[in-house]
This record gives sequence, structure tokens and C-alpha cells, in this order.
Amino acid sequence: MEKTTSLEIRNLIKYFHEPETFQVLKGVSFTAKKGEFLSIVGKSGSGKSTLLYVLSTMDTDYEGTLQINGDVLTGKTQNQLAAFRNKHIGFVFQFHYLLPEFSALQNVMLPALKLGKLSTEEIEHKAYESLRLLDLEGQELKNANRLSGGQQQRVAIARALINNPSVIMGDEPTGNLDSKNSRAVQEIFKQLAQEHGQTIICVTHDPDFANNTDRIIEMQDGLIV
Amino acid sequence: MAKSTNIQIARAYLTSKIWQTFVAVLGVTFGVSMYIFMNSFMNGVNKTQDDLAFSALSHIRIYNQDNMNVYNPIESQFNQSKTIINILNRKNIQYTTGLNNSSSIVSSVKKQTEVIAVACQVNSSVFFRSGSKKVNGIISGVELEPEDELFKTSSTIIQGAWNNLQTHKTGIILGKLLAEKLGLQINNSVNVLTSDGVSKNYMVVGIFESNLKTMDETKAYLNITAARQLVGENSDYASDILVNIKDRDNTASFIQKITSMIPYQIESWQEANEQLVAGSELRNIIAIAVSLTILLVAGFGIYNIMNMTINEKIKEIAILKATGFSGNDIMTIFLTQATVIGLLGAIVGVIMGYGMSLLITLVPFTIAGLETLPIFFRAQDFLLAVVFGILTTLIAGYLPSRKASKIDPVIIIRG
Ligand SMILES: Nc1ncnc2c1ncn2[C@@H]1O[C@H](COP(=O)(O)OP(=O)(O)OP(=O)(O)O)[C@@H](O)[C@H]1O
Ligand SMILES: [Mg+2]
Repeated sequence: MEKTTSLEIRNLIKYFHEPETFQVLKGVSFTAKKGEFLSIVGKSGSGKSTLLYVLSTMDTDYEGTLQINGDVLTGKTQNQLAAFRNKHIGFVFQFHYLLPEFSALQNVMLPALKLGKLSTEEIEHKAYESLRLLDLEGQELKNANRLSGGQQQRVAIARALINNPSVIMGDEPTGNLDSKNSRAVQEIFKQLAQEHGQTIICVTHDPDFANNTDRIIEMQDGLIV
Repeated sequence: MAKSTNIQIARAYLTSKIWQTFVAVLGVTFGVSMYIFMNSFMNGVNKTQDDLAFSALSHIRIYNQDNMNVYNPIESQFNQSKTIINILNRKNIQYTTGLNNSSSIVSSVKKQTEVIAVACQVNSSVFFRSGSKKVNGIISGVELEPEDELFKTSSTIIQGAWNNLQTHKTGIILGKLLAEKLGLQINNSVNVLTSDGVSKNYMVVGIFESNLKTMDETKAYLNITAARQLVGENSDYASDILVNIKDRDNTASFIQKITSMIPYQIESWQEANEQLVAGSELRNIIAIAVSLTILLVAGFGIYNIMNMTINEKIKEIAILKATGFSGNDIMTIFLTQATVIGLLGAIVGVIMGYGMSLLITLVPFTIAGLETLPIFFRAQDFLLAVVFGILTTLIAGYLPSRKASKIDPVIIIRG
């Protein structure tokens, strides 16, 4: 497997100014290779989520540089970044955010419909497939707010995968799942990394999850140790 | 495909809070329907007023009036200083009034393409006498056909017939109230006394009732030839020539066109009746002000509802943005909602405005020849109502939509 660089951050520094100025990230640098399955661990409050939001391009208020697939993303406009995310990044939030007025299936389909590369039928087929893979068969047409927490989290994972993004990020993507489902998600991630060369970066508190990944990055007080 | 996705999302949002959507649509509906109703009603009123006015008023009147002539040979001759002029018992000369060559003017006016009808009249103020009764009034010598074309006078005849003036050389048609005052019936005889002291007897061959009380009280029609004899004028004489043109709002340009050909005064109905014009304009302003106010209020309602929706959906907007929807997409989603609300409101508003107006025409109102409240529909009112309705919604929807498009997803998602 080729080992080109997928994601690279250089000397990332981030402050929060509310309620008082406070340095969350104190110069974080690391590189993720294409097809690598990474986990980020660390104590609560060490800055894992904050780092992930910067990696995901949603947070643009930082110092340092972020580069994904060779594109420097630091300094791009919000609209450019949105288009980039749509195509290249899949994200599973710490709190599984779905659109409550839409069915599980529609939630999964939306990013692909936005991308507009495949026909609606193809997208639908793909969405069914990936929901089935996540053990959500039969739940596809239920409204998102009628699903259990764990089910919602798996829908969010399916949504993150729909556009075959080159980088998939998760903030405790298995936080709400039982060990069986958690294993299944891990296997899916592993497979995506190995077979499709997708880079996967997950924040986790689960040691089993972490040990199942290619590399563990540990954070402490805004620094990688 | 991305566009239709945005529209799908907009539709989901519109249908998920159907009550809110309904209220927003209702706001526009009220605005649009009130606009149509108010304007159609005011147009109806204006039209009634005009119809009433134009039953006795022509668009243009050509006449020759004795202007106070200031010709003063003495003073212009002896104008050196240190000359004292003292004229005792000065008299003003009576110049002829009226037009002595009416047929040539009529034919040159008739050549204009804008002209619908031209009628000569011989008007004179007289005394009507019957037995011991004596009533002051106006005799109007008319050409039967053109007069009827101008004012539809024949339709006001309640006894006898308009054409009786043609067949009876000494026939006269009296206003209803005038006939009552004089105690006259049809086929009775009435004496007319002019200001020059000429007295003639005529036979009542008809009685008319117009919508104007003063006319019914004072006016009588003669054949124009009989009237010329009565006032002692030649057979080409007319005191007034009345002209109607196709577009009565366009009198100014018509007058400008004919003014060089006609050596007499020409007066448009607007000049003669400024209060009529002012009344119409004022009513139009009220109608527009009221309906625009309603639309404005509706606009605020929509603004509030859209703002509320966006505050409720702030998390979802953040998710959409996180998964790759741009600010423009978000804008499209919410502006689509506004457009749908505007369109729906406008369509229902047009139907409701039309219906409301039709209902109003059922309300009885029996004054001045009316039977029900007047409504007059104009295509432009419907068009403007729709345009204003949609415009208001779009403006009211734009600000919240822009706010939504600027939401920073990370702030919301971080919690
Ligand atoms: N919006 C914010 N404003 C100010 N401070 C913040 C904000 N979000 C997070 N922080 C602070 O930044 C630090 C890092 O937060 P972060 O959410 O990255 O922690 P974490 O490592 O993800 O923790 P957890 O494992 O509990 O999710 C914490 O001390 C937190 O209090
Ligand atoms: Mg966290």
C-alpha cells in the first residue's frame, strides 16, 4: 500500500477567548498517511474535540497550517471549505446530529445529493447498503428523531461514509454503542482504511477501540505526548 | 441536482411546521386580497363618480366667452404724462358670445382620430312659465343623435321619447322635478321667456330623470333649431361644442393638437372639475396606503416567523454546513421557503380578493342611481398585488435567510 500523506498539521495553536483567553492547543503537529486508521486519546478537556474541529475544516480560527490531500486549507473561505468537506471529509460528531425532520435514509443521502455526482437512485442504493452494514435494516424510513441514541449514531456514521471521503473523522463515534455494534463500526473503519485507502481519525475513550487502530495519538493539555 | 436538494429540504421544512407556514401564508393572503379589494372598490367608486359626472360633462368643451375687453382708445391715444383723462359714465360693449360657424369647427374636430362624438348645443338661461308659476332654468338646444352619443340622454327619458324632439318642432323635454314644480304633464304647454324678452310656447313631449338633482330641477331640452330661433341666432350658431375622445385622461395632448385650428376657448373636463380629479386621486392614495400597510404588517409577520424558524433550526443549519452545504445553499433553502409562502399567499390572496369584491357587489346601496356597492376590476391591480405580495415576502425572508447563511457551524456544534 502506498504511503502518501493524507493529512498534515503544522504547529497548530488555538485560543478560546471566552470566558477568559485560554490556550487549548499549544502547537500540535502530526501527519496521517493515506489509509491510516488513527485514534486520538487523552483526558477529558485535553483538547481532542477542539483539534478534530480544526482538522475537519469547520473551525478556521487557529494558527498554524492544515493540509489535506496536498491542499492547504488554512485561509480558504467558508464556502470553499464547505465544498471541500462535502467531497473529502466525513464527520461523526460527538453528539450525533441528525436532521430530525428527515428519515434515516434521507439523512444519509443528503451529502451525496449535495455533491451531485451520482443519480438519486444510485445514492439511495448506496445509502440502503451502508445502513444495512451498520445493522439498521428496517429503520431506513423512520424519522431520525424516532431512533435510539445508538441507532442515530450509526446513521451519522453512514452519513459520514456516503461520499467515499478520503478522510473520515469521528468524535467518539462509538460512544453510544454496545460492544457488539462498536466492534462492527471498528471493523468497517478498518476495512475502509485497508481496502479503500481512506484515512480515519477517531477520538475515543475506549481502550479496546484505540488498541484496534494503527496508531494512537495521546493528548495532554493541548499537546501531543 | 444540488439545487433540487435544497428545494427538497425547503419543502420538508415548510411541511414539518405546517401551522407556521399557514400563518405566514395567511399574512400575505390578507395583504394581497386587501390590496385587490381596496383598489377594486376605490376604482368602482371612482368609476361611478365619473359615470355620474360624465352623464352631464363632456371631455372637452369649446366655447366663446365675452372676455372683459380692456380696449381703451382714449388712454392709449393720450398716454403722455401730464395729461389728465376723465371719462364719465363709461359703458362696456357687449361682444357676441357663442360660435357662429359651428359646422366648420365640428368638421375639423371630427377629422381627429381620437374623437368619439361631437355635439353642438345652444344653451340659454330662461324662465319657464306655466299658469302663475315661474321657474328659473336652462334651455339646452341639442342635436339629438350626437347628444345621445355623448351622454346617453335618451336613456334618462321616463315619459315620452327622446326622438319626439325631432318630430315635434315645438316640442320640449323637461326635467322631472322642473315639470313637478311647474305642475306640468306630458302634452301640456309651457311658456319660455328668454333674457332678451322673447317669449315662446312649447309642448311637453318628454320628461327625463337623470342622477343629478340640479339637472332634474332646472334643465329642459329643445331641438337645436328651435333653440336657435328662440335666441335669435343664425342656423350655424352654437353656444358650446362638446367633444368626447377615446381616452379621457389624455385631454391635454388632444387640446394641444386642435388649439391652432380653433380660435375659441377650449376647456378640458379636468380644468372644469378639479375637485373630481382630486377626489379620485385621494381615494387611490388611500387605497394604496391601506393595502401597503397591511402588506407591511404581513411582511413583519413573515420576518418574525422566518427568524423563529431559523433560530429553531440553527443546529440543523450547522449540520448541513458541516456536511458540505454552503452559505448559498442555506440561503436558497430559506429563500425558497419565503418564495413558496409568497406565491401561495399571492394566489390565495388573488382568489380571496376577487371573492371579497364580488361579495361587496351584493351589498345594496341605492343612492345616485346605484343599486349595490360599486366594484371595478383592473388587471393592473391584480398584477401589482401579486408583485407586492411576493416582493414583501422576499424582502422579509431575505434578512433571516442571510443570517442563516452566515451561521458558523462549529460554534453551534461545539455546543
Ligand atoms: N467553546 C468553548 N469556549 C471556551 N472554552 C472551551 C470551548 N470549548 C471547549 N473549551 C475548553 O477547551 C478545552 C478542550 O475542550 P475539548 O472539548 O477539546 O476537550 P475534549 O478533549 O474533547 O474533552 P472530552 O473528552 O470531554 O470531550 C476544555 O478545557 C474546554 O473547557
Ligand atoms: Mg470532546
